Amino acid sequence: MTYAIELRGIVKRFPGVLANDHIDMQVEKREIRALVGENGAGKTTLMRILYGLYQPDEGEILLSGKKQVFHSPMDAIRAGLGMVHQHFMLFPSLSVSENIIYGSEITRGGFVDTDSAHKRVQQLADQYGLRVDPKARVGSLPVGVRQRVEILKMLYRDAQTLILDEPTAVLTPQERDGLFEILRELVNQNRTIIFITHKLNEVMDISDNATVLRGGKVSGTLKTSETTPEEISRLMVGREVLFRIQKSETTIGKPVLEVENLEVKNEVGRKLVRDISLDIRQGEIVGIAGVAGNGQTELVEALTGLRKTDSGCVLLQGSDITHAPVNDRRQAGLTYIPEDRGHVGLATDASVSDNLIMGYQREQPISRNLLLSNPSIREFSRGLIDRFAIKVSRIREKTANLSGGNLQKVVLARELAHDSALLIAEQPTRGVDVGSIEFIHQELLNFRKAGKAILLVSAELSEIRSLSDRILVMYEGEIVGQLDPKDPATTEEKLGLYMAGAVRDQKPAGQDQAEPAAV
Amino acid sequence: MSDILGLFDANLISSILRFVTPILLAALGGLICERAGVFNIALEGMMVTGAFAAVVGSFFTGSPLLGVLLAMFAGMLISLIFAVLAINLKGDMIVLGIATNLMTSGLTVFLLRTIFGVKGAFQDPSLLGLTNIHIPILKDLPFLGPLLSGHNLVVYSALVLVVVVQLFLFRHKLGLRLRGVGEEPEAAATLGVSVNKLRYLAILASGVLCGLAGAQLSLGNVTLFVENMSAGRGWIAVAAVMLGQAHPIGVFGASVLFGLSDTISFRLQGLGLASQFTDMVPYLVTLMSLFAIELQRRRSSLIKAEA
Amino acid sequence: MEPSMKVNKPALNSLRWLKKAWFAIQAPLIAIVGGLLIGALIMLITGHNPIDAYSEMLEGAVGGRNSANLVSTINRSAPIIGMGIAASIAFRAGMFNIGGEGQLVLGGVAAALTAVYVPLPPILLVPLALIAAALAGGLYALMAAFFEFKFNVPLLVSTLLLNYPARYFTSYLVTHPFRDVASGMNQTFQVPENIRFALLGENTQLHAGLFITLTIVILAAFIINRTVPGYEVRMTGLNARFSRYGGIRSKKVGYWSMFLSGAVAGTVGAIEILGVIYRYVDGALTLPLYAWTGIMTALLSGSSPFGVLAAGLFFSAVQTGGFGMERKTDVVRELSRVLQAIIIMLVAARASFQFGKQKDTVEDES
Repeated sequence: MTYAIELRGIVKRFPGVLANDHIDMQVEKREIRALVGENGAGKTTLMRILYGLYQPDEGEILLSGKKQVFHSPMDAIRAGLGMVHQHFMLFPSLSVSENIIYGSEITRGGFVDTDSAHKRVQQLADQYGLRVDPKARVGSLPVGVRQRVEILKMLYRDAQTLILDEPTAVLTPQERDGLFEILRELVNQNRTIIFITHKLNEVMDISDNATVLRGGKVSGTLKTSETTPEEISRLMVGREVLFRIQKSETTIGKPVLEVENLEVKNEVGRKLVRDISLDIRQGEIVGIAGVAGNGQTELVEALTGLRKTDSGCVLLQGSDITHAPVNDRRQAGLTYIPEDRGHVGLATDASVSDNLIMGYQREQPISRNLLLSNPSIREFSRGLIDRFAIKVSRIREKTANLSGGNLQKVVLARELAHDSALLIAEQPTRGVDVGSIEFIHQELLNFRKAGKAILLVSAELSEIRSLSDRILVMYEGEIVGQLDPKDPATTEEKLGLYMAGAVRDQKPAGQDQAEPAAV
Repeated sequence: MSDILGLFDANLISSILRFVTPILLAALGGLICERAGVFNIALEGMMVTGAFAAVVGSFFTGSPLLGVLLAMFAGMLISLIFAVLAINLKGDMIVLGIATNLMTSGLTVFLLRTIFGVKGAFQDPSLLGLTNIHIPILKDLPFLGPLLSGHNLVVYSALVLVVVVQLFLFRHKLGLRLRGVGEEPEAAATLGVSVNKLRYLAILASGVLCGLAGAQLSLGNVTLFVENMSAGRGWIAVAAVMLGQAHPIGVFGASVLFGLSDTISFRLQGLGLASQFTDMVPYLVTLMSLFAIELQRRRSSLIKAEA
Repeated sequence: MEPSMKVNKPALNSLRWLKKAWFAIQAPLIAIVGGLLIGALIMLITGHNPIDAYSEMLEGAVGGRNSANLVSTINRSAPIIGMGIAASIAFRAGMFNIGGEGQLVLGGVAAALTAVYVPLPPILLVPLALIAAALAGGLYALMAAFFEFKFNVPLLVSTLLLNYPARYFTSYLVTHPFRDVASGMNQTFQVPENIRFALLGENTQLHAGLFITLTIVILAAFIINRTVPGYEVRMTGLNARFSRYGGIRSKKVGYWSMFLSGAVAGTVGAIEILGVIYRYVDGALTLPLYAWTGIMTALLSGSSPFGVLAAGLFFSAVQTGGFGMERKTDVVRELSRVLQAIIIMLVAARASFQFGKQKDTVEDES
């Protein structure tokens, strides 16, 4: 039988790593295939090979039985493939139509025929039920709409097979359901879908079959209706994975962080954080759930001193840090694992030891009288590297050479070594391999056990649910709900409703004690 | 008082356009590069190369027009070197830009001595500059006359090019692709658009335009070559691109502003101010305009906030 | 558990160091050879003999009677190296200061005027002249930093533009109010003899100011690598967001580094005035392109002080050698400028330099 897509013996090597190790995969027409695996398993590499972004070192690609060689995405596109990347490839300053026709423009004598472009886009949008305004500037569109533009881009080019890379990373559960409807409609219209994900519930929801990758090899191809998340997970990781981390009870102590009526505005005065009040106590992990872009980043920036607070009050262990500079906050007991570890949490061109001593450079024994002590720096760095099992060969090595998991460990090690009262952790396990994820989660729980406080911001609902003692949901800059993860009624669907703004608590959430609702 | 008013006579417009042209042309080149995502600070070097080449061409062929063509070609050659080193060899554009400026500075002085055997400046009665074109009916119009007629070919080309660049950037297929490349090169690449090819084109275009700008300096405004003739105008062009937000119309406006200050500085010398102070004028005006951008930006966001 | 660190063996260390040094030299070496070849090509095209020219250049750089040329090379290298250090101080902090020339001339004229007109004994006057120079250059650079932080005026453009007013202003000072009219040239009066830096020997032009330059190099290296402020500067230059996140006040770092950069530049000007020229002459500090050559040494050596030292000596040799080449052959000295620039472009093309640019995150291979 001829398959829509067949990959035979695909091998791809990068310096120091065998990303794809003799991979075979067969996808039938009108199938929805999930490509599953943890970070680093080789899923994106494999799809990039299929899409012509990389060339395989060995192996063949066949489309409908015919051998194909793709030197670039253009070849793949011409052969009927379309890929929607994890990070959208759109031009914010151009219109929806311009984005869609870019590179394959409708022209008259070299000049772009904008009217025809708009018409064509509208036609496609109506045909597949993807609501867009062809004239709108992409930069002003919300994430869910941008994704539709990406899909339309591929349909404009007659893509028969669509490859989607982690498409739900930025969607609410409701938006995700909307996407899945679109995918089913596409299959109705004879398309084939390949879907990269690491979220097992999505695999179970939408796919017909699942190909599981582990360490660059195919560890199994399963029929979704005949398998379970546990089985898939075992194939992903090769051992039993704890779905629920064992969390011990802790004694909740005094408030460490008290936030009252915090407000943050942007340049033109729009409120990005509205009247937020919350507190976190010793021995507590408070998790903030919410779709990216609802004020979480600004809230954390305001708390950490990287952004101005417009009104409200922030107390850390009783001291007012509302307008304090970053260093004062750190002295007062705040540490921070930022979301953007490459651009904020590290200096990738600096050595590992340079990165580890940030924040300690003025303390003894790292320095004395403003003179750095190299032996102390070495000892300090080695200590952290050993304790956190960070894989480096020399402390003077540039951090740019480390893997995602190790980089995050550097940040974690440095911040935890302060033994501060409060740790703010943003997306602490994004892009990190499963082994390191477990490690990081355990460290966070140890920190909590030691009577410290953690504010956890994460887009991974499973992480929020398994680590937090209390969950706060943010929507459009406000806290719209507080939920107890131990309560069986706190399902993903319920969280999703809060996250989408469809539901909110009556009283302002955040503090344990009820307070009169603010108008 | 009448002295100051004397600054603003009918010839002023003519003067202004002559001074605006080099800055405008270089700035158009700069804006094309900016739109393609290339930070090109070698405008200065390409301009001085053009100025020199124009003189060489005109002197040895007797035709200023051929001099202009040689200038455009020379500018393009220099930009080609820059393009190869920056794009193919992936060198740092800022370092390469500064290095290009140093190299062309030295090269033109070296060639000045080697070819013409002089230092400092080359001037010759037989060196022909660009002639002004007087358009029959237009030149007699009351107010618009001096504005529309009596300029040389390069000046007219510069004005036409503003429109050409505008149309190209915003209506033509290649212009769209160029803008995409500058904004999100990765996205452009995945849609099959060659980022490197377009950036090459942008750099070469800026080379040609800067060469043309240089020709205006040495054959249009005056008829001679002076060492380091561009005297920072390439950098003023960079500022013009910033002030004009990489938009042809905006850049035109910015260039007029700077050209105006250049003209006034020239004329202020006639009033008895020490030449060094008048020489400062264009640079100070440029600096102040950069302040103005920021102050304007703050005002507009305040307005947005109140809305 | 396996130790994750390699054991430190001294022999291994020196081998590693050699490997690193060889690696670092490769790019400049290829560039130099390439540059010389292209230079030879240009000479052939313009009808000159490259072999003669280069050998005269070598002689002109390090030869001469009593090594007079070598002395010239060393003397000339001092301002280049000084300006290179000035530039690297700013670059290390991520500040695009290319206004060294303006800061240099302002410092030079400040020193000259102080030395000529202030009636104080040498023991007070020399330091005062140096301080005046440092302040002049430092404050001028600080001003540009202020424009950047408070008004978003990009340093790259503002420092460059500010070169011109500075040059014109100092030119004005020595063409009009402070001109030594009798001398017939645009320059100040001579600096009194007891203010000048002592010559280091009987028949040599080397002067005591060279020690100041050397001290600046050593201080710069020490501060950048071994002190806390140096660490904070380095981290700010590599990733300003990171240093802010870590509690460093990156704006303060920015202001200080710009001030120091300009101050060093001004001091270099003072050293030239008090040690070589003995008066401020219009164009004397700009014509030799000290500031621009200095900037290139900083860029080429990744703003490393000892790299600046080596590169500065090299470029000085090329320039001084160029003079010799011009005297003995008919190849004009400006070719050495072309040579330098070609070498610079070739080095620039092969390596990438840090200005405080942020590199992308490690790509997660999924």
